Amino acid sequence: MHMSAVRPASVPRAFLAAAVALFAIVGSSQAQAEEVIVIGHAEITEAYDPAHAFNPTSGMVNRVAYDTLVTFPDADASSIEPLLAASWSISDDGLVYTFTLRDDVAFVSGNPLRAEDVVFSFNRLKNVRAQPSFLADPIDSLEALDERTVAITLVGPRPSFLAELANTAFSVTDAEVVRANGGTDADDAAEADTAMSYLNQNSAGTGAYRLSSWSPQDRTELVRNHDYWGEQPFFDRVIIVNIPEAATQRVALVSGNIDLATDLTPDQVVALEGNDDIGIFLGPGRWTHFLLMNRDADIGGPMADPLVARAVRYALDYQGYRDLWAGSVTPGSNMWIGLAGAFGQDRAMGRDVERARELLAEAGYADGFEVTLQYPDMTFAGVSLSTNAQKIQADLADVGITVRLLPGEVQVALEGYRSGQQGFAYWFWGPDKLDPVDFLEFLPGGKVAGERARWMPEMADDETMAMIERAYQETDDDARLELFTLLQEYAQEHSAFAPFNVPAVQTAFRADIEGYVWHPQWGLDLALLSRSN
Amino acid sequence: MPLYKYVLRRVLFAVPLVLGITVVAFLIANAVPADPINANLPQSALGNERLVAAFREKWGLDQPLHVQYLTYLGNLVQGDMGVSIRTNNPVFDDLRQFLPATVELATVAIFVGLLLGVTFGIVSAVWRNSVVDYAVRVLALIGVSFPVFLLALIGLTVLHAQLGWVAGPGRLGFLLSRPPHVTGLFTVDALLAGQWATFRNAASHLVLPSLVLGLYVSGIIARITRSSLLEVLYTDYIRTARAKGQREHAVVLRHGLSNALIPVVTLLGVLYGNLLAGAVLTEAIFAWPGIGRYAYRAATSQDFPAIMGVSMLIAFIYVVANFIVDVLYFFLDPRIRYV
Amino acid sequence: MSLITPPATPSTPLTVRRGHRLRHLRRHPEIVVGALVVIAWIVLSLLAPWIAPYHPLEQHIADRLQPPNDTYRLGTDELGRDILSRVLYGGRITIPAGLAVIVINSIFGWLIGAVAGFVGGIWDEIMMRVTELFMAFPTIILAMAVTAALGPDIRNAVIALVIVRWTNYARLTRGLIIEAKTNEYVEAARALGAKNPYLLFRTLLPNSIAPVVVYGSLDIGNAILLFAGLSFLGLGPEPSSPEWGRMISIGIHFFDQWWMWLFPGLAIASLVMAFNFIGDGLRDMLDPRTR
Repeated sequence: MHMSAVRPASVPRAFLAAAVALFAIVGSSQAQAEEVIVIGHAEITEAYDPAHAFNPTSGMVNRVAYDTLVTFPDADASSIEPLLAASWSISDDGLVYTFTLRDDVAFVSGNPLRAEDVVFSFNRLKNVRAQPSFLADPIDSLEALDERTVAITLVGPRPSFLAELANTAFSVTDAEVVRANGGTDADDAAEADTAMSYLNQNSAGTGAYRLSSWSPQDRTELVRNHDYWGEQPFFDRVIIVNIPEAATQRVALVSGNIDLATDLTPDQVVALEGNDDIGIFLGPGRWTHFLLMNRDADIGGPMADPLVARAVRYALDYQGYRDLWAGSVTPGSNMWIGLAGAFGQDRAMGRDVERARELLAEAGYADGFEVTLQYPDMTFAGVSLSTNAQKIQADLADVGITVRLLPGEVQVALEGYRSGQQGFAYWFWGPDKLDPVDFLEFLPGGKVAGERARWMPEMADDETMAMIERAYQETDDDARLELFTLLQEYAQEHSAFAPFNVPAVQTAFRADIEGYVWHPQWGLDLALLSRSN
Repeated sequence: MPLYKYVLRRVLFAVPLVLGITVVAFLIANAVPADPINANLPQSALGNERLVAAFREKWGLDQPLHVQYLTYLGNLVQGDMGVSIRTNNPVFDDLRQFLPATVELATVAIFVGLLLGVTFGIVSAVWRNSVVDYAVRVLALIGVSFPVFLLALIGLTVLHAQLGWVAGPGRLGFLLSRPPHVTGLFTVDALLAGQWATFRNAASHLVLPSLVLGLYVSGIIARITRSSLLEVLYTDYIRTARAKGQREHAVVLRHGLSNALIPVVTLLGVLYGNLLAGAVLTEAIFAWPGIGRYAYRAATSQDFPAIMGVSMLIAFIYVVANFIVDVLYFFLDPRIRYV
Repeated sequence: MSLITPPATPSTPLTVRRGHRLRHLRRHPEIVVGALVVIAWIVLSLLAPWIAPYHPLEQHIADRLQPPNDTYRLGTDELGRDILSRVLYGGRITIPAGLAVIVINSIFGWLIGAVAGFVGGIWDEIMMRVTELFMAFPTIILAMAVTAALGPDIRNAVIALVIVRWTNYARLTRGLIIEAKTNEYVEAARALGAKNPYLLFRTLLPNSIAPVVVYGSLDIGNAILLFAGLSFLGLGPEPSSPEWGRMISIGIHFFDQWWMWLFPGLAIASLVMAFNFIGDGLRDMLDPRTR
């Protein structure tokens, strides 16, 4: 301040030098000042290895740590857009997809992207036989035609294939790095592949960010990939901290300790609406909450009876769940409401206690029965599963079914669910494929129906099975719509599931955070976020 | 009795106790669950005959009970406590990872408890049956009567969420990275690395949970201090000191306290072991990533191997802590040397 | 919170001297206050079905998360259940559970302690070592292990607490029996040809049972706290149950809605404090040193 009053000539040289040095230090430290964003999130993941990870948290992280061949627009699934693949062609019989890769892409290791990496990644996904591996089932063979061309041959025609390729399970990984860390894409990968521990701590992709560390149930850190081939993201570092409790997320957000909270409850968001420091995003939800009733009588007990499953669908107080979770809707089936032709609230089932009792009597349970409901003890995206489970318990009590609640730790409950050991369970589902075929997972022959609810093809009539088969392959839009309408009607009558609520998405963030876009496939795209001054 | 002989004798006492702990753990692990395979393997593995057979063989489940115990002991000696159903890691590795957080919390908490408890105890004894005494005794009663999780919630709501005076759940602020690992105690490691901001932050996160836990033991410490001080105050040599005209508080502090604290010291080992256990409830609320939270999460997911691992670890610490206290006692109480 | 197992189980057996008890009650008002609070809670729990405004499980979704008001005196929870009704009904779970632990422990612990003390020798030695082992285990974690193995519910929580706390009773009884064995009337009975079982049940039983009952009544507070702790951790009654510890556990998710967890918390605290008042008073009354 006083310096301006002093003539430059009178300033001692040493002082001037010191001032310059000081300026240099300040300047350089400014240049070093990192842009960091802290995300409060209820972590639900067992891995970040794209061939193993299959859950909301890993979807969000791998969306920016890896790239897929094709992708969707930023906010919806209205079209298929190129990503690592610059262009592609489909053979006339719909069996062979040929992709031409971009030539300007390198992995975080510096290795250039080659067709061989795609072949390795997809074969590995298929052969590790992990949770998302079923997505690779339609693939018959892969071939690198040259450095930049890869041909994928399918088992049968599959109009939804490109949409399925947008799933982060199809992330393209650096074959050299993954191999160097124990990875293999050979047939015996399920036993021989040991790259997961490396890929849980480091990403080997081409994304805008690089996974730099993961401390499970604690925090995940991503750092900018300076050599990213696409547009550089705003933040240098992304820290995702695991805050399972919505109440704690709220306090952390309001006090400015975190920039964005992914799991606030609808009530909390409403309460935050007047707060000038907080921005809010509200949108239609992606997650269908449903009950699973195992068709294997040894596991499901009375729940295995299709009449009982139907009675349960009539017993649920759908309006009550809508009241509990502001902005939520009742789905008409397990087909995500955002997909073309999905039954929305207008075609949803309504509560009919009398009908439910009749059905129970018809099944031989006029006096009701006792059953245990298993569910993961968690709050997901602001929705407490425990709260819903207690409401389910009360709803079913009205028709004479006595429900005992058995909450479990997420990871453990997931294992029981995925291995089909749960007789009566409460879970939620977000589409793996943003295409109506995603719903076929919940019908005989599908993954969820078969592996988790033991609802097998032989339990359905031939006509229905033929219809399901056609649904996979039909390319004509009108014919598809009709098929899926019939299948949803079939599910309302016969399904082993009872979908009951699709909560809205609500995210709150500090008012200076910009660029929040929500996508039905990966949720939040971290690379689009920025901070205004 | 010379020190080495005394220590040796204590060690000889401790060894069968540690062995016995493994027996109890083994019996609970085998007698309580209807089927040890159900309790020890994840649901998804139950359908896999190969995994079930491997488990049977590893723990000798086809053998008679005493052989099973020896197998169990053999595995244990090699640091094998089984694999956690929830984390899929060896329980031993998990415990090693989570123990430092709990040790840090429990150590600070016992100091807080001692500070509060001894102060309360002295005040209460010196002004016996006065208003102060009653107030302190009621406070001590609150300490032992209020569920520790209620105190934790009140503290969290008022001091953190409402007033913002102290840090909330967790061990460290979200923006800070962990100090370089030396001891695993964040405060100590941060100091060693010269990271002041990290130290202050870690210390601030310690305030609330250690206060809650400290309050919870302070009630017990206050009661013991009070009654042993009262006892000492009526012994002859205090009367003598009084008769010699020394002032009351000088009498209390100089002569009474050092003797009155012996029972408190005796109890420290027990208290420390119990603090580790009491940490379960506190850690559950404060998202404190220690063995208490580990045990809690293990219990809620029926992760049997993990929870048995925690029980054994704490029982072991309990034995060691009492051993240390016994040795301390040797120096504190001269009478022992003449036994 | 008394997760603390008294280090040296009542080394000075609580001897109940008849006659001057009532006289001392006047000098120990805390006993009277404690007893009144305990009785009040028992009466409130018994009358809950008649005095509670709502059924504890009745959900009013439209009225959820309401702070205390005229309709819901203590507010409502996340499903619109009336907190007051739930707190009143909660006593019907917690108090019997605490009592069950104490009663089973008294009987079971008494039997083991009595046999050890009476038979003596190697059996006594074994019993003492076994109790030491059990006491090395952290109470709540051992209880968690047992409930984890048996599956979470009220009965199993009670079983777990019996398994972890019987040792205190056994050691107390053993001490009493050994002391009583040396009494003249036992000698006399023996001289008259009394057989061992007869001695145990006819002479030693009445003399050792009173202190065990007294100790048990002082221990109810601890048992209740432990039970609530287990249930707080999700190892007791199921989520919708109006059990107090269970109700408090929701506080982690709703610390802004303080009424949801503070009232059940105060219910436990007041009950346990009342038991501790009684305990403290009795201890003072019987142990003149600390008076």
